[in-house]
Amino acid sequence: MAVKIIESCVNCFACEPVCPSKAIYEAKPHFLVDAKKCTECEGDFPVHQCASICPIEGAILDSLGVAFNPPGSLTGIPPEKMAEAMAELQAH
Amino acid sequence: MQLPVLNDAPAHAADKKGGCAASSCGTTDNQMDSLPDSIREKVQNHPCYSEDAHHYFARMHVAVAPACNIQCHYCNRKYDCSNESRPGVVSEVLTPDQAVKKTMAVAATIPQMTVLGIAGPGDPLANPERTFETFRRLSEEAPDIKLCVSTNGLALPDSVEELSKHNIDHVTITINCVDPEIGAKIYPWIFWNNKRIKGVKGAKILIEQQQKGLEMLIAKGILVKVNSVMIPGVNDQHLAEVSKVVKSKGAFLHNVMPLIAEAEHGTFYGVMGQRGPTPDELQDLQDSCSGDMNMMRHCRQCRADAVGLLGEDRGDEFTIDKIEEMDIDYQAAMEKRAVIHQAIQAEMDSKRLEKATKAQQHKEEPKLTTRPVLMAVATSGQGVINVHFGHAKEFLIYEASPDGVRFISHRKADQYCGGDTSCGDGESVLQVTVRALAGCEAVLCSKVGYEPWEMLEAAGIAPNGEHAMEPIEEAVMAVYKEMAAAGKLDSTPEAARASA
Ligand code: SF4
Ligand code: SF4
Ligand code: SF4
Repeated sequence: MAVKIIESCVNCFACEPVCPSKAIYEAKPHFLVDAKKCTECEGDFPVHQCASICPIEGAILDSLGVAFNPPGSLTGIPPEKMAEAMAELQAH
Repeated sequence: MQLPVLNDAPAHAADKKGGCAASSCGTTDNQMDSLPDSIREKVQNHPCYSEDAHHYFARMHVAVAPACNIQCHYCNRKYDCSNESRPGVVSEVLTPDQAVKKTMAVAATIPQMTVLGIAGPGDPLANPERTFETFRRLSEEAPDIKLCVSTNGLALPDSVEELSKHNIDHVTITINCVDPEIGAKIYPWIFWNNKRIKGVKGAKILIEQQQKGLEMLIAKGILVKVNSVMIPGVNDQHLAEVSKVVKSKGAFLHNVMPLIAEAEHGTFYGVMGQRGPTPDELQDLQDSCSGDMNMMRHCRQCRADAVGLLGEDRGDEFTIDKIEEMDIDYQAAMEKRAVIHQAIQAEMDSKRLEKATKAQQHKEEPKLTTRPVLMAVATSGQGVINVHFGHAKEFLIYEASPDGVRFISHRKADQYCGGDTSCGDGESVLQVTVRALAGCEAVLCSKVGYEPWEMLEAAGIAPNGEHAMEPIEEAVMAVYKEMAAAGKLDSTPEAARASA
């Protein structure tokens, strides 16, 4: 059982020092979780530490592959609004 | 090694009413007038705090602290901390060892560099090992460099003890509010006690930690500057209150910065269409707060890894590869630096004296009764007008009035555009620059080209290239007097513009 960091990670370093199992390491092109070391914080904390500090929606997935922080949950930007703004920028 | 003690000011120093040094009386531009002597001494060579020192001395930042423990609505964490740099900038993150090498390389090459700051790209105190390792080594290996640190304040109370052990003489806290309800509109969440805490509850903890940290620093005699981001409709009405609170606790400067929000930064405010303040709104707020406390007006929201005099960036000379190749004898460099610092100090002292004499003369002349005027100045340092209009990346805004000349703010020439030849809406760089100067009635530079000349005139801003290489305050006053003599100051600026 382990969590996973995916490509939307922006390499902000926030998760690395808070992991109780030292499972997170800096890598290119983005940070990674060592699945052998990750304990899902069992026995240390009631919530996954990495997923509780990560600022990027969708960057960390649980063991079932579901994002801990779905779109809109952290920034407060409604996903439609984000899509709209991005479409606007593309048009320019 | 015995370290110089920079933190020995008594905790109540900020309450003491300071005497006024002769060199800074008579002009209204010197914002250090009202500071107690002990504090003025500390800040007088600090390019971020002292208005005249930043023409001579340089600061640098190193990016060693990438992580952050909160989220601000004006920040996209793909980029550097927006509290300290311009949005959309990415710094190269250094290890503490690289940061120490870089700092010493820069100090040896640019002797004017006197201040090293750690300001991100995230929150330095959310990365305590990296930040403190850098400070520890620099305090030992380069004791002639002052250290400073900026923080969002969440981890501050836990860091005060460690901070007080190093060569640190000032800490900047970004405080945008003292009311959790307002805080919830600025900070969507914080990471606290191993949990993510959202909304008012999170904002409340953050505010409590900021205030507690501020009090603890003051109790230790460490200078505290407070930064606030002005967000129209969110905290603009509230910042006067913030100013009052932080002053009563002993912060020595309060710096209000404008929110910069663009959709392409992908921040909450950018995407949701929250606007930043206009230059006028910003100045009004700064004026209304300065009655309350000393406001610092020349912050340029510099980049976290910037090197050079304020507004200048020589970072390209000090990339990691280049530093690795340099062999620095810091002892020798330190001796050289001391000599140069003395010479600069002497020049600053004589300029201050000259300025005071001029101000005295000005006082003795019959006093004008004309209205105040804003003017923009293009300069690259040394306190003189020495930049071509077209080359100016930013302008210094001064206000001339019958009381004298005072520094108001900086305006970026390219603030609203990425520096491309045209912005999204088809505006040219020139148009953007002219727009950035809105509210000014003259612009003083070493030279102005034909095309901008016409556009400036059309916008009601008189271009002026007649004072190249002259000291800024004198030139601004001279132009003001010419305007007064020509009868241009009897009407309101709007009327003057309509007839131009
Ligand atoms: S879930 Fe816990 S143990 Fe696993 S990587 Fe994240 S912080 Fe580390
Ligand atoms: S906190 Fe999130 S974005 Fe930052 S490095 Fe970790 S996974 Fe990447
Ligand atoms: S403190 Fe700085 S890095 Fe952290 S969210 Fe706020 S602006 Fe961004």
